[in-house]
Amino acid sequence: MIKYLRTVVIAVLAVAAVSCSGPGEVHEYAVSDLEFTLEGPLFAGPNSGQTEIIVDLKEILGEAYSEDMRISDARMTSAEVFPNDSLGFTDVSAFIVSFASDNEDVSMQEAAVKNPLEEGTASARLDVAAEAELGELMEEGKVYVVLDADLLEDYWDGNRNFKLNFTIDLTIK
Amino acid sequence: MIRKLTFLAVSAVIAFGALSFDLPQSTEDPGDRLIGIWEPSNGRSRIKIDRIGNKYYGRVVWLIEPNDADGNPRTDINNPNPDLRNVPLRGFRMCKDFVYQGEDQWSEGTLYDPNNGSTYQGTITMRDINTLDMRGYIGVEAIGRTDVWKRLKMPSKKK
Repeated sequence: MIKYLRTVVIAVLAVAAVSCSGPGEVHEYAVSDLEFTLEGPLFAGPNSGQTEIIVDLKEILGEAYSEDMRISDARMTSAEVFPNDSLGFTDVSAFIVSFASDNEDVSMQEAAVKNPLEEGTASARLDVAAEAELGELMEEGKVYVVLDADLLEDYWDGNRNFKLNFTIDLTIK
Repeated sequence: MIRKLTFLAVSAVIAFGALSFDLPQSTEDPGDRLIGIWEPSNGRSRIKIDRIGNKYYGRVVWLIEPNDADGNPRTDINNPNPDLRNVPLRGFRMCKDFVYQGEDQWSEGTLYDPNNGSTYQGTITMRDINTLDMRGYIGVEAIGRTDVWKRLKMPSKKK
């Protein structure tokens, strides 16, 4: 009987917790012209560039911010890569955007991919992975954004440079 | 005479100080010995391990069979997330989030098997500078499988 009551109490508390947590408020977080340098020599196949961003809720929300606010969920909604040197997208066959943090308990997540990349395109609009949950990463504050570019040929004569624009819907509670 | 000796002593101290500052100092993190290109025991792929922040990640950079039966580049068709099944397998980050723990061991990471879309907890032990024990397991480390990876030399520029 006690065991049954305990189960009922736990179930009621769980329902109450879900009910009280509410849906949260969604804010769009947009980053533009994030620069990536893929340092040569570059080999045919995947090559990576990384850069850091600081996700500062106080800055994002302005006056609406309060100390107890937390990011409960984050989903990428768009990502677009642009060339940032005269080589354009020459010999690039695919892009992947991922996010990582220094926290041992938070795993890297792939968030968007473009494969294959059409020839002659001026920018690459990536397909976002709607299921990729980025909330824990964004809550970290310091986040590493990683751009992987798949090259068809070796490139020995220097670096390759790209820029990334992306938007993420942050659910804030 | 005293003034001359003092001048020489001061000069010697300054010279030694300058020399001390010029001495090479090792700033490399001991965990960075993991960085490089590695080949699993079956020889069917090569993995490049890099560092992002304070963690280590390994990407597939070469596959013995890069294309599928239709001649198209293989993608991660078994990924549990359908949105990511179009990610090229060459370039896939199959080792993630490894943290150097000291004593030639990296842990807290995951190993992904693209053959079945499963992710395992992992530990990496460096036997020597050119040999790794990669251990994948679910839940209990004692129950798992270890594969031996060998370091490859970086390719040099084509003539």
